[in-house]
Amino acid sequence: MTEASTLVNPTAGTQRRKIYADPAVYQAEMARIFARCWLFLAHESQIPTAGDFFRTFMGEDEVLVVRQQDRSIKAFLNTCTHRGNRLVRADRGNGRAFTCNYHGWAFGIDGVLATVPLERDAYFNEIKKECHHLVTVERVESYHGLIFGCFDRDAPTLGDYLGDLRWYLEACLNSLPGGTELIGATQKVEIMANWKLPVENVCGDGYHLGWAHAGAMKAVQTLDLSGFTVGNTTVNLDGGISVAGLNGHSLLASLDGRSGYAFYPDPTLALKYLDDHRAQVVARLGKFRGEQLWGSQLNVTIFPNLQFLPGLNWLRIYHPKGPGKFEQWTWALVEKAMPDALKRQVLDNQLLTFGPAGLFDNDDGDNLAACTEQSRGWRTSQMEIFTHMAIGHSGTRPGLPGDIATGIISEHNQRYFYRRWQEHMAASNWAEVPQYNLNPRGAEHA
Amino acid sequence: MRNVGSMLSVEHHLALQQQLIREARLLDEESFDDWLALLNDDVRYRLPLAERRFRKDRSAPSELGSGYIFDDTKQRLRLRINRLQSGYLWAEDPRNCVRRVISNIEIWQADDNQAEVFSVVTIHRSRLDGFERQLTAGRRDRWQTTAAGWQLVLRDIQLDNAVVMDSNLNVFF
Repeated sequence: MTEASTLVNPTAGTQRRKIYADPAVYQAEMARIFARCWLFLAHESQIPTAGDFFRTFMGEDEVLVVRQQDRSIKAFLNTCTHRGNRLVRADRGNGRAFTCNYHGWAFGIDGVLATVPLERDAYFNEIKKECHHLVTVERVESYHGLIFGCFDRDAPTLGDYLGDLRWYLEACLNSLPGGTELIGATQKVEIMANWKLPVENVCGDGYHLGWAHAGAMKAVQTLDLSGFTVGNTTVNLDGGISVAGLNGHSLLASLDGRSGYAFYPDPTLALKYLDDHRAQVVARLGKFRGEQLWGSQLNVTIFPNLQFLPGLNWLRIYHPKGPGKFEQWTWALVEKAMPDALKRQVLDNQLLTFGPAGLFDNDDGDNLAACTEQSRGWRTSQMEIFTHMAIGHSGTRPGLPGDIATGIISEHNQRYFYRRWQEHMAASNWAEVPQYNLNPRGAEHA
Repeated sequence: MRNVGSMLSVEHHLALQQQLIREARLLDEESFDDWLALLNDDVRYRLPLAERRFRKDRSAPSELGSGYIFDDTKQRLRLRINRLQSGYLWAEDPRNCVRRVISNIEIWQADDNQAEVFSVVTIHRSRLDGFERQLTAGRRDRWQTTAAGWQLVLRDIQLDNAVVMDSNLNVFF
């Protein structure tokens, strides 16, 4: 889209508001971002057994993620190849075949069209079933349990797509043997807002925490959280970092190794788990990641629409539903090494804080909806809005990949998110999308 | 669900029915402290997450359970109310209009001075300008008769929205 360069200015930290409301911009996003990027599909722990399936979305395309007989994972468009009916209507489950409700066409778990009713008597055995297999998602790859899909054959491998973010991801997804799993049912909430707004809110916006969530923080905070105060009256920036400049991916991190559990009414069990395993994690990942990242409040963003917060222990994807609506799907994310009692506490606390009735989550929705609705006006759609806090106050830190701002209150990560958005929107194919991992660590984790 | 037993006396039945309607009004009026007084100190207030699964689904249920949108003791309900009353809850200021309709009330005698009560609650929420939402849920309660009157001991809520069509659930069912 040719006007992409005028819609956001990542250097000045501005966005034209039509990007949150304009149907033409939204259609371009579907083609240039959601059809091009690696999108989160499911966690391997959700489909452990052959025949297990999970129904989700890639942009507005509904897909089925299916565990195969040989343990590999495939993903298909969840649509019958005959007349286009939705194939599977359950959220997840296990099946030997997927049979369409409309005329009874049945597909194997490998996507092959197996049986067609009245094949002899009505089709005269002339139907070429091999031409009507389910449409397969071109690329499916996993990274430490997270399954991603991509519609674009020209996309880099998932590993290259994640780039140097992987150095940080290791501390979230591979700190201990067994890695992570998602527990509990999918928590689905529909919000009348543009999909980019929750992403920017979580990727870099530590600024809203002490104000938008003041009521919840006043009610539940049990541990210090990186110098925040209720009401945003004072702040201590020393206790954290905002990391971006990694192909649109980003990280917010407090560096105390424990404040991920700041919103637990009783963090005793979680803190004991951290103490018991700290030495092991340091041995696996080194001092910085083991002592300062693991257990900290971390906000991880994988461009464009996946975010997770180890510690607060949720993983969330935003499915766009038109320019003014998205569905957020959230799960509790735990490490497999956690004792069951702690896993249960994590599930309970994640739902208490960031579930559909979450004490914190419930503060954000109306703000995001109003930012979207307010962008629809004739005059407001031409307005620019700002993520220009602390421009020029970032740099490098020895050994840490990325362009890094001090503290988790800055608008550094949001600027990089919109920079990546612009790069994709301006490019007509992957070859035109720049790849950058600022201040790389080299080949050690390739 | 099977018929669970015998009827209460007409007086008890009417008093309990009145209690359900009064409870709805207290919540509509945001009289949260008065509402808490209707709850037994050991109350359990639950709303489980639901999934759409095939009737003949063969996959194993989650080992650690599906999780709950609400799984509250009286102390945790107090915590939610503290947040609502904190003076920092911008989304509830100006005040939103919330109106509960309680219907299909079915009351049965249970053990230990308790009654089992089924009901349906429809919550209408009217917020900024024309923004309206409706939530519908079934409830299965245990109420206990005490010196202080009927008190809620257990509430299991079944929300009918598989996708919660609202940006917050700053409401009690």
